[in-house]
Amino acid sequence: MAAKPRSLTTGGAILALVVLAALFGPMLAPFPYDQMDIMARLSAPDATHWLGTDEFGRDVLSRMLYGARLSLLMGLGATFVSLALGVPLGLAAGYHGGRIDEAIMRTIDVVISVPPILMGLLLLSLSPPNVWKTALAVGIIYVPILARLTRSVTLEIAREEFVLAARARGERLWYILGAEILPNAWPPIIVEAALRVTFAIMLGAALSFLGLGVQPPSSDWGLMIAEARPFIDTAPWVALAPGAVLCITVIAVNLVGDGLREILDPRLRRGRG
Amino acid sequence: MSASALRIENLTLAYPSGGGWINALEDVTFEIGQGRALGLVGESGSGKSTTALAVMGLLAPEARIAGGRILFAGQSLLELSEDKRRELRGDRISVVFQDPFTSLNPALRVGRQIAEPLVLHKAMGDSDAAAEVRRLLAEVGIARPDEVARAYPHQLSGGMKQRALIATALACSPELLVLDEPTTALDVTIEAQILDLLEGLRRDRGLSMLYITHNLGVVARICDDVCVLYAGRVVESGVAAEVLHNPRHPYTKGLLASLPKMAERQERLAPIPGRFPDLASPPSGCIFHPRCHFCVERCAAEPQVLSGGVHQVRCWRADELAGVDWPAPAPTPASTTVPGEAGGRPLVEVGGLAKRFQLGGLFDAIHIDRSGGFPFKYDPPVVRAVDGVSLEVAPGEVLGLVGESGCGKSTLGRMLVGLIEPSEGTVRIAGEEAGQLTGRALRAHRRIAQIIFQNPDSSLNPRKTVGEIVARPLALFDLARGGAIAAKVVELLELVRLPAGYAGRYPHQLSGGEKQRVGIARALATSPRFIVCDEAVSALDVSVQAYVLNVLADLRDRLDVAYLFISHDLSVIAHIADRVAVMYRGAIVEEGPVARVLSPPYHPYTEALLSAIPEVGRDPAKERIRLRGDGVEQGAIKGCRFQHRCPRRIGPICDTVTPPVVAVTKLHRIACHIPASAL
Repeated sequence: MAAKPRSLTTGGAILALVVLAALFGPMLAPFPYDQMDIMARLSAPDATHWLGTDEFGRDVLSRMLYGARLSLLMGLGATFVSLALGVPLGLAAGYHGGRIDEAIMRTIDVVISVPPILMGLLLLSLSPPNVWKTALAVGIIYVPILARLTRSVTLEIAREEFVLAARARGERLWYILGAEILPNAWPPIIVEAALRVTFAIMLGAALSFLGLGVQPPSSDWGLMIAEARPFIDTAPWVALAPGAVLCITVIAVNLVGDGLREILDPRLRRGRG
Repeated sequence: MSASALRIENLTLAYPSGGGWINALEDVTFEIGQGRALGLVGESGSGKSTTALAVMGLLAPEARIAGGRILFAGQSLLELSEDKRRELRGDRISVVFQDPFTSLNPALRVGRQIAEPLVLHKAMGDSDAAAEVRRLLAEVGIARPDEVARAYPHQLSGGMKQRALIATALACSPELLVLDEPTTALDVTIEAQILDLLEGLRRDRGLSMLYITHNLGVVARICDDVCVLYAGRVVESGVAAEVLHNPRHPYTKGLLASLPKMAERQERLAPIPGRFPDLASPPSGCIFHPRCHFCVERCAAEPQVLSGGVHQVRCWRADELAGVDWPAPAPTPASTTVPGEAGGRPLVEVGGLAKRFQLGGLFDAIHIDRSGGFPFKYDPPVVRAVDGVSLEVAPGEVLGLVGESGCGKSTLGRMLVGLIEPSEGTVRIAGEEAGQLTGRALRAHRRIAQIIFQNPDSSLNPRKTVGEIVARPLALFDLARGGAIAAKVVELLELVRLPAGYAGRYPHQLSGGEKQRVGIARALATSPRFIVCDEAVSALDVSVQAYVLNVLADLRDRLDVAYLFISHDLSVIAHIADRVAVMYRGAIVEEGPVARVLSPPYHPYTEALLSAIPEVGRDPAKERIRLRGDGVEQGAIKGCRFQHRCPRRIGPICDTVTPPVVAVTKLHRIACHIPASAL
């Protein structure tokens, strides 16, 4: 095996830092996440509060460190759910075509026709909310996007002659989908999934804001950004700090996605003649 | 020679590659005389299209011209500004590209696209331009120019599109026409029409032509001069008839020897061994020496120069080797059984096989029925891709199936290996009918019949190594286990003449011919008795094609495998097949032993196909038979399926009555109303 692509090592390192922050954040945080300080509301970054305070005088850095856990859970967990459901549906629809395709795609059209937030409200109104359910709901909301993408890639690959050759020797369905089609379908799926992590964090925040996810005073990056919006012109640091880490996390996820794509595709592998 | 229309002097052109530069063209020199046609011949990667792009000034921005000049009508093109070159392009020099299916903008009407250069270069008004478009369309042989000018590209057939593109190229009366493989994507009968058209245009307009092609037959048919490129170097140039009949460079000799010939059937073709050189580190001395049969020590030592007068050649042994042919390999000893005549049961029996495809969606299928009763009728439009085909293949026999695109030959081949479900009829292989089998028995049955596809780039999974690809059928059918698998993979690779080390490579590290051989090894892994070769050599360069054809012929002899060899190329079929079936619009119109089908009596369609093939060494005085029309007609078939294009229609009987299948001899059958004695 050739040297690991640099994008994978860089992205992996950043992501590892974020995960460490999520695991050990509570120990590193200078203040408890919910400790208010009425006297220091919306104070700019200084020696005590490195990243400033929010409208209740809570330390932004501490809330950010605490929030890493829930944000990662929301982003990665929901994306995992979308992948786990969307990819098999897309494969089935794209490979079989005909009635199975129609049935799956029309159902997906119905799901996609409901606005994401409304869909989240519908799913979460069934039982009392908690963070896990929110992640699951967000995952389900993004299933159609991954299913559609997987289907369109599959449609193309299913026509390739190596798939016909597999059918001609009587391969079983699972082998054709799993060993012939899926390895070639990964690249665009990985790119899309990396993008979904961001959207999932933001949608999770929106649902939390509506009281259906992370419950205040718990912190979560998306929720922090949402809560900071009214003060964006007077105290931009409150939104900027969680926004920046969210951004860095997303870049890291994308880098890891790129690196994975490179490793999975022998044509992009270097140093092997 | 009078003034030249185009003169290229010592052109060297490089592309950046991995930090360095590779010379795509090196010291290319040739000249096109006023009103003459020069054929620029070479295999993929030879630099022939790069030359065309350099002439047109359409090179990729990273390309660097390292030396040389391109002179057009006395002007040095490379010294002109971009604006000046744009003025020339489309006005005095124009180009027709290979693929008519993507060269027209699908969103614009054809007439508007042809008018564009007129408006741009000649500043014509709309109505003048429209009149000129009609005249041009008529000139390129389009029967209803008004209709075609108003049509969108998708409404035209491939041949019509190529005519429209030629009309666009002619719009400003250019002096030089650059044609980059203009007929490669077309069927042979359409190709013949387009070549006739180009020949006529050249004569009437006094055009000079740079004709780029890989097909030596086309060069023989249409070009005055020829220039043979190999790895970006001119290896031989001269008058076409002279070069093709008396080739002096070993590469030209090899190319000509690689061509399957219709007239005489050879046991094996003479391929050019080895692979195309890596231009990043070209071989020392003569660029061709690693693959050259006549290579001696000195060839690797000194670079060769082009020498000679009118007939130039880049080989120092040319004089010594004059008259020596490129050698063909001896066939491996054949199995003793003569296929098809051993008696006994045929391996493959196909009876009344048909496939109908439904067209359009739900709304195309519902019709209003005014005959009373329920007012709507569900009657989807169908196309009969295969319409009642019966055939047999004996063990170890090669049945060639020839026909043009859309005739249903691939659908037929895929039905035989169970990739497409037949609408009607039976397929019986080794006495078993796949349709009757289920589960384990069906899977076991799959072993017997395998398929090899056309496109080497698509037939191998890019994520798997060659070893994994070839090993999979072994594991699937439990034909080998553990360490025996690796040994068997090596054995299979050897059968298709690939070194054992290739097992660890990925498909993108192989050349087209090597990929195709891996595809063959994969099909052989199940020890099949019957293989459908679906255009298995059509995408390959001639020298590689010859090699793969030899591999297939050896396998037939050694393993006694039967093939259904599907191809649009009658000369390939003539080379490898024992019997031939000619297919037109879903049915077989003539069938019989190769020698019988390729000699009179002919079905009119077979006769036209044979006449259309451009071949080196064909007598130009021979009468040419051309088919009318250039598309496969739509709609229901009534009477004879060939009636719309048949040059030998005898009357209303052709329109109304399905022609009888007449057995000319015991094995030779023709479906035509004309009595066999008159065919």
